[in-house]
Amino acid sequence: MIEKEESIISEEEAAQYDRQIRLWGLDAQKRLRGSRVLLVGLRGLGAEVAKNLILAGVKGLTLLDHEQVTEESCRAQFLIPVTAQGQNRAQASLERAQYLNPMVEVKADTDRVETKPDKFFLQFEAVCLTGCSRDLMVRVDQLCAQHNIKVFCGDVFGYHGYMFSDLGQEHNYVEEKPKVVKPKTDESNDGPEAKKPKVDPNETTMIKKTASFCSLKVALEVDWTNEKAKSSLKRTPVDYFLLHELLLWFPALLHHSSCGSHSLCVPRFSPTVLLKFRTDKGRDPHPESFEADATLLRQIRDDVLEAMGLSSELLPHDFVSYCFSEMAPVCAVVGGVLGQEVVKALSQRDAPHKNFFFFDGMKGSGVVDYFGPK
Amino acid sequence: MVTLQLVGSLRKELADSLSTCRVLVVGAGGIGCELLKNVVLTGFKNIEVIDLDIIDVSNLNRQFLFQKKHVGKSKAQVAKETVLQFCPTANITAYHDSIMNPDYNVEFFRNFMLVMNALDNRVARNHVNRMCLAADIPLIESGTAGYLGQVTVIKKGLTECYECQPKPTQKTFPGCTIRNTPSEPIHCIVWAKYLFNQLFGEEDADQEVSPDTADPELSWNPADTEARATASDQDGDIKRVSTKDWARSTGYDPVKLFNKLFKDDIQYLLTMDKLWKKRKAPLPLDWLEHQKLTCPQGVTGTGLKDQQVLGVAGYCQLFSRSVETLHFMLVDKGDGAEELIWMGNCDDPPAMDFVTAAANLRMYIFSMNMKSRFDIKSMAGNIIPAIATTNAVIAGLIVLEALKILSGDVKQCRTGKFDSRNGELFSKLM
Repeated sequence: MIEKEESIISEEEAAQYDRQIRLWGLDAQKRLRGSRVLLVGLRGLGAEVAKNLILAGVKGLTLLDHEQVTEESCRAQFLIPVTAQGQNRAQASLERAQYLNPMVEVKADTDRVETKPDKFFLQFEAVCLTGCSRDLMVRVDQLCAQHNIKVFCGDVFGYHGYMFSDLGQEHNYVEEKPKVVKPKTDESNDGPEAKKPKVDPNETTMIKKTASFCSLKVALEVDWTNEKAKSSLKRTPVDYFLLHELLLWFPALLHHSSCGSHSLCVPRFSPTVLLKFRTDKGRDPHPESFEADATLLRQIRDDVLEAMGLSSELLPHDFVSYCFSEMAPVCAVVGGVLGQEVVKALSQRDAPHKNFFFFDGMKGSGVVDYFGPK
Repeated sequence: MVTLQLVGSLRKELADSLSTCRVLVVGAGGIGCELLKNVVLTGFKNIEVIDLDIIDVSNLNRQFLFQKKHVGKSKAQVAKETVLQFCPTANITAYHDSIMNPDYNVEFFRNFMLVMNALDNRVARNHVNRMCLAADIPLIESGTAGYLGQVTVIKKGLTECYECQPKPTQKTFPGCTIRNTPSEPIHCIVWAKYLFNQLFGEEDADQEVSPDTADPELSWNPADTEARATASDQDGDIKRVSTKDWARSTGYDPVKLFNKLFKDDIQYLLTMDKLWKKRKAPLPLDWLEHQKLTCPQGVTGTGLKDQQVLGVAGYCQLFSRSVETLHFMLVDKGDGAEELIWMGNCDDPPAMDFVTAAANLRMYIFSMNMKSRFDIKSMAGNIIPAIATTNAVIAGLIVLEALKILSGDVKQCRTGKFDSRNGELFSKLM
């Protein structure tokens, strides 16, 4: 639970957070200030999320990563100094992360996330998982949901990225709406027999709302074989490609030939294929082992598509080139969206995305979509 | 088997092109910091960045290349230094200067493969737009405000330019609304800013604060208006003497100023009875009466100090104190430099106190709910709320467009719009 807010905002905080307090209000800022967040994974996406949360003014951020800094990771993110090769990634990111905002308690933890006991996660209000295996994400999500801890997952593969949120079964928040201008009756202020000339057009009102989220496990198990589910998928003209990603993520959908024309099914990469690679190799595709990794990727592609009864030509030969590394600008976009979702959830203000966000850096388009029970 | 070489996520040809071309980033603020980081991490090697501004503490919630110890220093310079820490091989030139300086002529612009704007004002955007058209260099234009952001590519002959579509002009209000019949807090705030300039700053004929006898609402009978105008002259009204001269003649006595602005002038407005047939008439204030009321003691509650709304008595006191302080500052400047400058965006306490007090007193007189200093500062200073994440997303989109331009895919460039409240990242082909 978020600690009871300290009642005073210091002058230092008021000055530094002025421009964001003017946007999301003082209550939201106080809630942020009472929240502790765990961030797993300090590659490109992780660094962006760390920056965004530290600047927002959370109470504490723990950076958890067991990997070591390589020459490539130096170039990949802006928190690690070039002299840090061989050091632990979280440890190396700590100093620059702390400089972003001395008012946040930033810590580094060098353990493998898989080895952390359940109670480790319970000290946080929100947990953010990047670069994690599917199994771990499902396990942590299940654990956290029981304790009303908000869970976020995200990854970037080359030009593409996604994020997922699970804010629990009952996430309460407020939305600010403009006040409806009604004709005034006699309401007196501190002036005599006052009839207010006009309602301030900038006046707004806060409306309370609740949103319900499903677990990651359930989101991935959705049965898309029925017509009702299929027709409820959002279809936007520019996002056929994104739709394709979803189709491969949820293999059941493809078993039906009525899924539409083949132009729908020409994905350039698949989270499923990449997650499988990650499970098999224990790491993501790497430019240094490009040849070997590309071969393996194509093999997995063939296996996955064959299992679905589809031609491997649907995932073109060059799809592999879009799977390597994280593109810095794509990390910035996905990290920005993910960061803002964490801020919204912790501050309990503004409608959260439900429950996936997909970004296609080739097209420059992003879409929010829901996978879960109706 | 096609040999595909990669450098990170990029095809080798593109990566090579990145490391040789030169790019210009105009602005090192909210978008600029994020953009510089993205540009460098993506692999651009030769970067020039220009910004005329210095760092302020209110920048630190999003302009992440800066720390508190950098407050007061050049944004472009500090941005360069910080970036070099995580990418020492980048070749960055920083200019603490205005892009509108004639030194940055068409030849200067021609040095670059592309220009990326990270500006916050229309004048500079118009200027860079024209320079890029003249030099025939692609320009990536962008902007953010709060949760919203936008990116557009501008290329001569291929897309419309920044000035092709008329942009909405800054909202202005008619003089008679400001001077006679305010109905919204913003009218009172504008009046208070005008008053600041009339008393302490550069006097401007378009910023009159005294009652307007030429109000169109009064002029159904020209003879009548004529009579009023003459009468006001004979009254020794402000029409005769400039506001500043009159104030000087009283020695900037706060009580005299108060009674003129909030009592005498209001009583004069009341004689223009036509104005008050359908409107609630203003209530003149009297200094002595409000002196008797108790002032709110200190700050209560858990909000920001600036978010408190003081009562009328409180604003009377604030008016008096700020007049004295500002007068002192004016005198302190010495002969010749007889002006204070309104610095809406920076926190200039006495000026903001003055505007807060004067605006609120006027709001009270015209039966409006008074506003906190926090809210008045937003309106008076044209402050746009800003957060890190919107800028991060937009800066990411800018670089993705830049890569398309460098790959020769200008036709694939898009206009992107982003709203972080609903996450929709909508882009359409140019």
